[in-house]
Amino acid sequence: MYNQNNIYSSVFAKLQNINCPLLGLIFTLFFVGLAALYSISNGDFNSWPLKHTQRFILGLIIFFIVIIFDLRLIFGYAYVIFFLSIISLVIIPFFGIESNGATRWINIAGISLQPSEFVKYTLILALAKYFHSINNDSSFIKTLIIPLIITIVPVLLVIIQPDLGTALIILLGGISLFWISGLNYKYFIVGVFSILCSLPVLWQYLKDYQKDRVFTFFNPERDPLGNGYHIMQSKIALGSGGLFGKGYMEGTQSHLNFLPEMQTDFIFTMLGEEFGFIGTLFLLLIYAALIMISIRLALKSRSLFSKYLSLGVCNVFFIYVFVNIGMVTGLLPVVGVPLPFISYGGSSMLAVMFGFGLLMNCYINRNIIIEKTNY
Amino acid sequence: MKKSGKFIFQKYDTENLINRRAALVTIAKAGVFSVLAGRLAYLQIAENGNYKKLSDKNRITHRFLEPERGIIFDLQGRPIAVNKQKYEIIIIKEETRDVEKSLVSLRSIMPNAKIDIEKILKEVNSRKKFIPIGIIDDLTWEDFSKINVNIHKLEGIYTQIGFKRYYTQGESHSHLIGYVSPISKSEEESNPLSKLSTAKAGKIGVEKAKDAILRGKLGNKNIEVNASGREIRELDRVNSVQGNYIQLTIDSELQKFCYERLKGLSGSVSVINVKNGEFYALASSPSYDPNIFSKSISNETWENLLSNKYKPLINKSISNQYPPGSTIKPFVALAALESGISHKETFFCDGKHLIEDTSLDSGYKTFHCWKKEGHGNVDMTKAIKVSCDVYFYQIARRVGINKIAEVCKRYGLGEKVFKSFYEEKSGVVPNKQWKLENLGSRWMVGETLSAGIGQGYFLTTAAQLSLALAQLINNGVRLNPKLIYGTENPNVYDERIIADPKYLKIIKNALDEATNAPEGTSYRSRIIGKYKMAGKTGTSQVRAISIKEREEGLIKNKDLPWEKRDHGLFIGYGPITDPKYAVSVIVEHGGSGSGSAAPIASDIFKYLFKNKLNLKRNEIFNV
Repeated sequence: MYNQNNIYSSVFAKLQNINCPLLGLIFTLFFVGLAALYSISNGDFNSWPLKHTQRFILGLIIFFIVIIFDLRLIFGYAYVIFFLSIISLVIIPFFGIESNGATRWINIAGISLQPSEFVKYTLILALAKYFHSINNDSSFIKTLIIPLIITIVPVLLVIIQPDLGTALIILLGGISLFWISGLNYKYFIVGVFSILCSLPVLWQYLKDYQKDRVFTFFNPERDPLGNGYHIMQSKIALGSGGLFGKGYMEGTQSHLNFLPEMQTDFIFTMLGEEFGFIGTLFLLLIYAALIMISIRLALKSRSLFSKYLSLGVCNVFFIYVFVNIGMVTGLLPVVGVPLPFISYGGSSMLAVMFGFGLLMNCYINRNIIIEKTNY
Repeated sequence: MKKSGKFIFQKYDTENLINRRAALVTIAKAGVFSVLAGRLAYLQIAENGNYKKLSDKNRITHRFLEPERGIIFDLQGRPIAVNKQKYEIIIIKEETRDVEKSLVSLRSIMPNAKIDIEKILKEVNSRKKFIPIGIIDDLTWEDFSKINVNIHKLEGIYTQIGFKRYYTQGESHSHLIGYVSPISKSEEESNPLSKLSTAKAGKIGVEKAKDAILRGKLGNKNIEVNASGREIRELDRVNSVQGNYIQLTIDSELQKFCYERLKGLSGSVSVINVKNGEFYALASSPSYDPNIFSKSISNETWENLLSNKYKPLINKSISNQYPPGSTIKPFVALAALESGISHKETFFCDGKHLIEDTSLDSGYKTFHCWKKEGHGNVDMTKAIKVSCDVYFYQIARRVGINKIAEVCKRYGLGEKVFKSFYEEKSGVVPNKQWKLENLGSRWMVGETLSAGIGQGYFLTTAAQLSLALAQLINNGVRLNPKLIYGTENPNVYDERIIADPKYLKIIKNALDEATNAPEGTSYRSRIIGKYKMAGKTGTSQVRAISIKEREEGLIKNKDLPWEKRDHGLFIGYGPITDPKYAVSVIVEHGGSGSGSAAPIASDIFKYLFKNKLNLKRNEIFNV
């Protein structure tokens, strides 16, 4: 039992242990996003930039709350947290808010949240606990059944919303943990093969607009004023930015509204237009640095759970960045994935901060050893 | 460390395995980031030039600026054709994803406006995709603002301020001035304004004849637009240049008077200055309101104008041809004088003239005088005064058709008066060669007789007749017909004399008798007072009179259906002491020249004599 004094000193000790470079990079990305939103709102701080700031502060609060919790407690409640997040996905069809033909949001105390953003991290949490707890010498295939189920269920729930992009990120994030946990690579070969075979079947279940997006991805000129519009305009904005960009707040594509969704999914394009290749490369390097530091911190943990959790969070973050930039540069289909810390969007911001909170907690408690008893 | 298929997890040394797998993932991540960086370098550095062009194409739109059309003034400097501002809506195919959808949204914003979507779609699809197509031509200010507020919902649709032509004198000047309407496809090549679908071109009259002068030059501007096409700012601009002004020699008040005088009749009036060839009036009746063409004209109105039997769309002073009838007689007389026939020589008129014609049973063909009982002995003066046909049959036969044709042509018959009017007709002055070339047969003596009284193949226009008369009574000075003031050597006489004044004096005297002496054909229309007019009537047949009808007695004009009645003509000049004006009047199917045309000419001369002999002029300087 801790007395009060111990609690304070313990919290203080935890805060002292925070990795400052990582937090610094997170702040840097936030400020880049703030600058981008300030430009998009034509210098009106009170619209998007203000809300973005408020969300970041809320995100920081979540980050610190997650840090303060004992890692063992998080380990203990991992499944409960995952279960709660699944519940929130299940109730969406009944209580959700519809927008643009998809129901992705629920309203909690006046705040619209997108539970699927959080499920990315709670799934990692649950899988980390599971892989930590199993006997790795198991030769029984049934060991894989539970993690497969807890991965597939949220993916399917998100697909029916429908939100293919987020479902893919949840799936890829989950699969990345299977890999990290050391699953024999031949299962991946079998997995990839069976996915390729089932693609024609899955295709039948795609919504028309999703099929359109895939078609358009392979041939953006197919319909330059229709679905190819986003990709074309995004490439034009990036390409016309050149090496040095058109100058801050001088982007014609963004300021004349040729860029769609520029405050959310296409914000990278807007930065590319105004700051050029120098700017996009700089941003890419910040993300790379953040990911490198995350991996380094993750590998310092002594417990498997911490390693799995941290690497999983890092992987999900990487997938976010990769899919978003791949999408706006025309390498991937348009699937609607925000750019973490920069895109305007509350759920994404809070979820990413939640994820980095977990990662930081693992780092602070890197020397704690967690028994397998809770399995 | 062994790999074994036996285990689901590859592991003996967990720590090591995780590090290895994490390292592989990290390498993969580094690879992906390299690809992203490479992609960005490709887009932003290698392809920068292309995308920069595309970006400019996105934001910069080129717009043509409509020039204001030149204003048309009359002799006194009154504006006749002017421009008014109007608010219009256009659509550009290139700048909308779905033309029909945009039009439907427009209709939902303006439910009261008549928008024929099908017609506009057809128009849009038949033109080049960057050409703006007019949707609504003339909006009220309220509707104009309403559209501007909602413009972001209307892809490819824009508002603009344009000009519409307004004709201050309305229908009295419509044939002469003409009207403008959208440039047709056949005109696209030759008219630089065709880049603007809303631009208009002259279709007829002065508007068409002088279109190149009036139309002006297109301006253009580059504007920056946002994605919904709203103009953000103007990048550069070359202003349009207004078309040149034109001042006509037409006096709009006189023109109006002439038109009013023709009201209820179908016909035309032409008034010319005998000294310098300036036309002061070219009126035609019935008419139409040229301002209906400034808006899109309905099919029904158009059909009505086309099918009307009085042909309101035709300019009867230059586009309708009539046999000159007896108005040709002064020119035949001149041909006789020039051929050595004395004006004192008399011929006997017993009401008819016979010529041999072996194709007929009787062996001869009869040519009748209009007066059945004949005029007795007539000399040239009397022949013109009483319009004796038999006298002219005989001298025509002696002079021959080629001589008559030569004189008529010298006086401008058979030739367009205003070269630039596309709708003008040239008329026909027949001779032997003409018949051979056009009809493929030889000339017959009987045809010379018909020609001698202005019938047969002869065709003239009102403007031609007035010009011909003017040159006859100005002592034979060749005139340069003028309609545009200040051009074509104003007030400069063409010194060429085209006839012996000695002969002309005889003819002038005869014309004086025809109007101002009892028994003269236009005696009833004479003007009593300080200034007098003189002139020659003409009645031209539009039907063949059968022998049977002659025997039973001619059917009177008023008993015939309108289109079978004779045309009434009159050519006159005044004042007789020092002639200044020549006038020709044609009343289609008006019966006789003396009954229908001469009174109108008389009224016009009264107007001219009363309203100061000199028409007021006020020179408009070209801006």
